Amino acid sequence: MTRQRFLSSLRGIFLLTALVVVGFPLVWVTLASFKTPAQLNDPSLIFFGPSLINWTHVLEGGILQAAGRSALVAGITVIISAVAGSTAAYVISSYKAGGTVTRFGILAAQVLPPAVLVFPFLTLAYVVRVNDSLIPLIFAHLSFVLPVVTWFLIGFFDSVPKSLEEQARVDGFTRFKAFMLVVLPQVYPGLGAAIIFGFTLSWNDMFYGLILTPSKSAILPVAIAGFNTFRGVELGSMSAAILVAVVPVVIASFFIQKRLVQGISGGAVKF
Amino acid sequence: MRRSPTVNQTSVGWFQLRMLLPLLVVSGIAVGLPLVYAFYLSLTDFSLTQQGVAQIVGVDNYVKSLSNGGLWDAIATTTSYVLIAVTLETILGLLIALSLQKQKWARDITRAMLLAPMFITPIAVGLTFRFLLNDQLGAIPFLLKSLGLNYDFLGSGKALFTLALIDVWQWTPFMVLLLLAGLESIPKQPLEAARVDGAGALYIFRRITLPLLTPVLSVAILLRSLDALKVFEYVYATTRGGPGTETETIQYFTYQTGIQFFRLGEASSMAFILLIIVLPLIIFLFRRLEKRNTE
Amino acid sequence: MKKSLTKVFALAGVTALLAAGCASGTGSTSDASDVGEVSADASATVRILMEAVPDTDIVKGLVADFNAEYPNITIEIEALAFDQMRDKLIASFQSSEPTYDLIVADNPWMDDFAPAGFLEAIDGRIANTPNYDHEDFFGPLREIADVGGTTYGVPFYNYALGYLYNEPLLTDAGLAVPTSLDELVTTSKALTAGDQTGLAMQPQRGYKIFEEWANFLFAAGGSIYNEDGSGALDSPEAQAALEAYIDLYNNAAPANSLNWAFDEAFRSVSTAQSAAMVSYNWNLPALNSPDSGDFAGDFKLATMPGGKQVLGSWTWAIPTNSAAADEAWAFVSWITSKDVDVERVVAGGAAIRESTLQNERVISEGFGADYYDAIIAILSNAAPLSEGPGGEEMIQAVGTELSEAVAGTKSVEEALKAANDAINTIQG
Repeated sequence: MTRQRFLSSLRGIFLLTALVVVGFPLVWVTLASFKTPAQLNDPSLIFFGPSLINWTHVLEGGILQAAGRSALVAGITVIISAVAGSTAAYVISSYKAGGTVTRFGILAAQVLPPAVLVFPFLTLAYVVRVNDSLIPLIFAHLSFVLPVVTWFLIGFFDSVPKSLEEQARVDGFTRFKAFMLVVLPQVYPGLGAAIIFGFTLSWNDMFYGLILTPSKSAILPVAIAGFNTFRGVELGSMSAAILVAVVPVVIASFFIQKRLVQGISGGAVKF
Repeated sequence: MRRSPTVNQTSVGWFQLRMLLPLLVVSGIAVGLPLVYAFYLSLTDFSLTQQGVAQIVGVDNYVKSLSNGGLWDAIATTTSYVLIAVTLETILGLLIALSLQKQKWARDITRAMLLAPMFITPIAVGLTFRFLLNDQLGAIPFLLKSLGLNYDFLGSGKALFTLALIDVWQWTPFMVLLLLAGLESIPKQPLEAARVDGAGALYIFRRITLPLLTPVLSVAILLRSLDALKVFEYVYATTRGGPGTETETIQYFTYQTGIQFFRLGEASSMAFILLIIVLPLIIFLFRRLEKRNTE
Repeated sequence: MKKSLTKVFALAGVTALLAAGCASGTGSTSDASDVGEVSADASATVRILMEAVPDTDIVKGLVADFNAEYPNITIEIEALAFDQMRDKLIASFQSSEPTYDLIVADNPWMDDFAPAGFLEAIDGRIANTPNYDHEDFFGPLREIADVGGTTYGVPFYNYALGYLYNEPLLTDAGLAVPTSLDELVTTSKALTAGDQTGLAMQPQRGYKIFEEWANFLFAAGGSIYNEDGSGALDSPEAQAALEAYIDLYNNAAPANSLNWAFDEAFRSVSTAQSAAMVSYNWNLPALNSPDSGDFAGDFKLATMPGGKQVLGSWTWAIPTNSAAADEAWAFVSWITSKDVDVERVVAGGAAIRESTLQNERVISEGFGADYYDAIIAILSNAAPLSEGPGGEEMIQAVGTELSEAVAGTKSVEEALKAANDAINTIQG
């Protein structure tokens, strides 16, 4: 076997192992969503007649609406973060704009535990009288998504050679056009990753979602956590809800990856 | 052609400001306001079950928190957790990203599927593993027993490591996502040139790929570490900080103090103590990294 | 660049302080209302925050009957898991605008919420409600709702613990239901053989382990507090109780179960992998319900060995910032009235009134006479885990020390001493 083929098979086995490790709990969750409560107590049960009671329970309980709300909040959060984050990351990377204070100051909310920040958010929401909407939640999510997206992009902008931008300026582009048309496309892979990750952070947040949203507008993670009842974890229903949360995002990230991450032909740089 | 490309001090300054403004405005509201309010709370005796306005007590909360052994234990516990989890995630993430980059068949599907663990809200991950690892009902001990093995996943001395492994399961995909994007952004020319010159794969990796990947890699490690510092849901779902205080992380500790025991002023002071420790550390490490890069 | 940043932060600071000023202070303390009887055409919406437990479902099922008597009062029930519910409840108290008009409070919170002015005093209402018979509620439950001589609520449901066991497993092994701590140890060990264990324990750090172990403490003749309110965990009885508990964990409990809480233990018992567990008295119907598994119907409830058990209780309470206090009382007094309570218990609700458990309909239509006899016995000798303010913190502190002892990282003496010190520091 040639060295190439050997490495290639090694890679294949490694990836397959990773898929198995990642997939095992997910397969279990999928099976669990079709099991009755009694069947869930049997770890060896793989082949069985599927039951739909968990799915009907979950779908009737409004999980799709909760997912819709989560998607709305996450979508808005990510769009704002992508716009504000990319422009800011660019000047921070190129010009060290804002200095240390800006660059590290925005991380402050990342370090503080949500348990401490949630009451300030709540109080502020009441003061501005937006407490009965999803707005406080969007701002709470922005507090940790925006810094993350910005930092992501600073790292990627740092990898773009200055010569590219200088060339654009020599060619007569304004600073902004140079940014938009020449530098930004170079970081599309990073932007794609940042969008996926920012969306995920918002999609997964349960803590702010619990305290800051009005009772009737529960978001998805709160709905999922609601299956942890006093009479025990409703594993079957929770598993169905997990799948509702995961599958759409996996599909969406599939398309984002295709478009953005592999968009440009590997950092085409014209020296 | 609108403007001559000469560097004009004022116009550069204005440009920077305009580009930075959206971030400043949004952060000012979303980060700045709550931060200031939380800081104010840390200087008061605010309790969630008190009547009337909170009294300013200056640094009393800080003194109390600094002398609280439980807080320092929590910091130590969380630090171990972060070190174990992030190290594993970085190494595994890098290996997987490198493999995915070279992969030819079913690329997009593999990538999308490997990301899946990230999209499950952490409390659900915690609860799922709680049952997967359950000695009598769980699939994993079931498999281990069929091989004759017995392991007390959430027992004394092992619980923290198990939680770190759960973190690795959920968040290695994050590293993969970021590092893959980073690898795809690296200009191909230097790599091609080196290969043409006959350099081996390991050499290329160490001398060319890794240095070019450093900005992205350092950001990945930073962000993941900050996130791992806040671990709460896994603890809450499985051990509630036990056995003893083995898995009592900072976030769990402050949550208990602030929301279960109602002492929010004190909890706020703990959060700021954490901030004062962590933020300068980050700044210091990044400055050093930047110095090394420019050398 | 730096200048504009400083300006931004300064502006943020001022705004935040203004916000703090506007929003500080909790809900207004309204004068306690004396309205007991509410007219049938009262109109309002009553928003209730409850815990997602079987008893809440039963309450939801009775709302239609309530609306037959009070057609214009709309009941909106929000049911959440325990910690989420508590977090939302605390958050609701912080706002001056009413979020919930009626709530349920866990017993450790009563001593913190009442002095904080969150709850309405309802002695007047109770006195003015005809045929209410407040004395009919079980004593321990009434005491929990009474803080400093004033009543702040009425019982919703109890969660006193008992010994739930698999009857065939015990009789097949020729064993009787244990009636003392020593018998509990020997019986549990005798039932541990092969894949089966004698007692599914819940040694999860914090609340669960303390809740379970306190029953052992009582069985050993000990108590949590002394007469003067100081901690009593430094007694020889506490030592014996903890040693027995650790003995059982190591020899009669499922392997690798150090983090087990209710869920795991319940599943272990319902699949007959364990013979018994110490749990809430109203779990018996859940264990015996047909869709719980192959062993439904085999389970029985007994008092804890030793006769005294841990009690928990949820209490209906009206927040002082309620927007519909009178209508809330209409609902509460209706659902806790003697007639409706019979309906509730027949449907499977946990007992709060003595008369209900002696009601013929309940005995014939419910879950069997011996079940209700056991509950009467349990509720007549039960005590809560915590008395006085700082309840949650005390429970967590003691629960941490107990967990250390079972994990082996502290000796029994050290752990009990530390736990006792914690009681005195936090609640002394």
